[in-house]
Amino acid sequence: MATLLMRLAGPMQSWGGDVKFGRRMTERQPTKSGVLGLVASALGRRRDDDISDLSQLRFGVRIDQPGKLLRDYHTIQWEGGKYSNKFSDISERYYLSDAVFLAGLEGDEELLKKIDVALAKPVFPLYLGRRSCPPEGQISLGMRPGCLEDSIRGEGWQASEWYRSKSASMVYLEVIEDSDNGAILSRDLPLSFSQKHRKYTFRTSSDDVEAVKIDNMESRQITDHDAMATLRGGR
Amino acid sequence: MTDMDKINSNRMYLDVHVIQTVPPSNINRDDTGSPKTCTYGGAVRARVSSQSWKRAIRTYFGEEFSEDELSTRTYKIVELVANRIVEYDSTIEFEDAVDMAVKVIKKGEIKLDGKSKKGEPDKIPESKYLFFLSTKQSKNLAKLAIDGEYSENDVKNALKAGCGIDLALFGRMVADDPSLNVDASSQVAHAISTHRVQPEYDFYTAVDEMSPDDNKGAGMMGTIEFDSSTLYRYATVALHELCSQLSDDKDTTSEVAAAFIKSMALSMPTGKQNTFANRTVPDSIFVSLRSDQPINLVGAFESPIQQSSNGYVTSSVERLAEKEEEVCSTFAESPLKTWWIGKKPASKTSMSMGEAMEEIKSFILSEL
Repeated sequence: MATLLMRLAGPMQSWGGDVKFGRRMTERQPTKSGVLGLVASALGRRRDDDISDLSQLRFGVRIDQPGKLLRDYHTIQWEGGKYSNKFSDISERYYLSDAVFLAGLEGDEELLKKIDVALAKPVFPLYLGRRSCPPEGQISLGMRPGCLEDSIRGEGWQASEWYRSKSASMVYLEVIEDSDNGAILSRDLPLSFSQKHRKYTFRTSSDDVEAVKIDNMESRQITDHDAMATLRGGR
Repeated sequence: MTDMDKINSNRMYLDVHVIQTVPPSNINRDDTGSPKTCTYGGAVRARVSSQSWKRAIRTYFGEEFSEDELSTRTYKIVELVANRIVEYDSTIEFEDAVDMAVKVIKKGEIKLDGKSKKGEPDKIPESKYLFFLSTKQSKNLAKLAIDGEYSENDVKNALKAGCGIDLALFGRMVADDPSLNVDASSQVAHAISTHRVQPEYDFYTAVDEMSPDDNKGAGMMGTIEFDSSTLYRYATVALHELCSQLSDDKDTTSEVAAAFIKSMALSMPTGKQNTFANRTVPDSIFVSLRSDQPINLVGAFESPIQQSSNGYVTSSVERLAEKEEEVCSTFAESPLKTWWIGKKPASKTSMSMGEAMEEIKSFILSEL
């Protein structure tokens, strides 16, 4: 048994749960379907190819840097003229900006090794939920010998330097992972990415809000503040 | 083909990185009229959305190729096909051509709309959503329509064959029949400024020239929000995939690749052009052909570039080069070949767009 860890980061990412129509929301963290889609792309699986081996992998994600919700006003303008205020289609698309996630996939070691190689030599360009969101930096962090739960909790904090110095001296990281008796039910297990019939079934996961406690040595947050100092004639 | 076969197969990625300063302007706005932004590295950045620049690229691209090789995105597919029918056979009346077009399109299970209201002249039916139809495909449909005999499969095949170059690059989504979808071989990221940005407001007044002398007030006043910024723009094309979409025609693939770079460089989304006259060309273009993976270098600017007397361009270009070196010496392979066009880092050489295009085309032709 082994786990493959991935760093998912970039200026923008968007992980849609159940999104159709005009308001395209994003979840707070990468979805299993989205990440398996990324993995399938790397492996060169086409939309009609079988992905049952990927769906069998266990998935978890740790929120290392939660990012900020970004709303993009997206218009589509039909051919026929210059730039005008007439838009034929308007949608609101949400993204997470400035976020960093640690994702883990546990399962068949041979398959994970292939994915590890593929992530550095993808057959198709990769993206973080939406095509306009190419990932930044190294994606695969390599294989770990343990189970999903341990590997995802044992890995170092992937957040950026600026975020770490801005954060408190004690930081808690949240982990959302596959769990047989988890309380969260979501239609986030892909069975087929085929254009003719996209199919997703249910997955149960659990949310461990304080999964990892980090002693943040890089914190530059000033916690001792004497508000009355200036009144007393001090600094 | 097994997974490992695919992973080890030949591939070539065309990465295009652009540093471009856009002077006070508001080329991409949201519904409140404010310029789009994004937070990165904890700092607010100016942003031009991927979709707006992609559209500008598509439009520019259209001018680089003959109509025959491209597509049109429109509701008016019936009118388009009817025009082709009349082109082929001028003895057919336009009204009849419209009926023939409706028939052949409906056979392909594409939903049409546009019942004319009572008392109004007959409207030509339109598709219910925007449809990307390549010239070749519209000609295929016209031929089928004139032929008279065709099955649903014939129509579907007509819509799949003759993929327009721009369709191959930018993709297509068809709600009624997802089997007609085309996955794009290009990827265009949202463009963000390499530095922190502060939207500014231009408070303007406009005078009513005919108002009496004793009326000192302005006729109209308001504010327009604008910002100026140096943007990092990134796009990649999976050339191996593009080539296969274009039926393995390497000549056309290399032409398309060069045209894509040129369109990416010289196109500009058109928001508020009349106010700000902001058509600018990039300060610097860095092109990289890679055999492993596309590399987005936006991480170079996660720590925003600080204001200095040099402006932002020089530092942006240097940082971009540094990041590329760092990436290629750590987790990624070295590129096959790179080119700098325009401003370049101190240690590199650059060339003109024309020279670079020729070199890039021949390199792709021989190495793909």
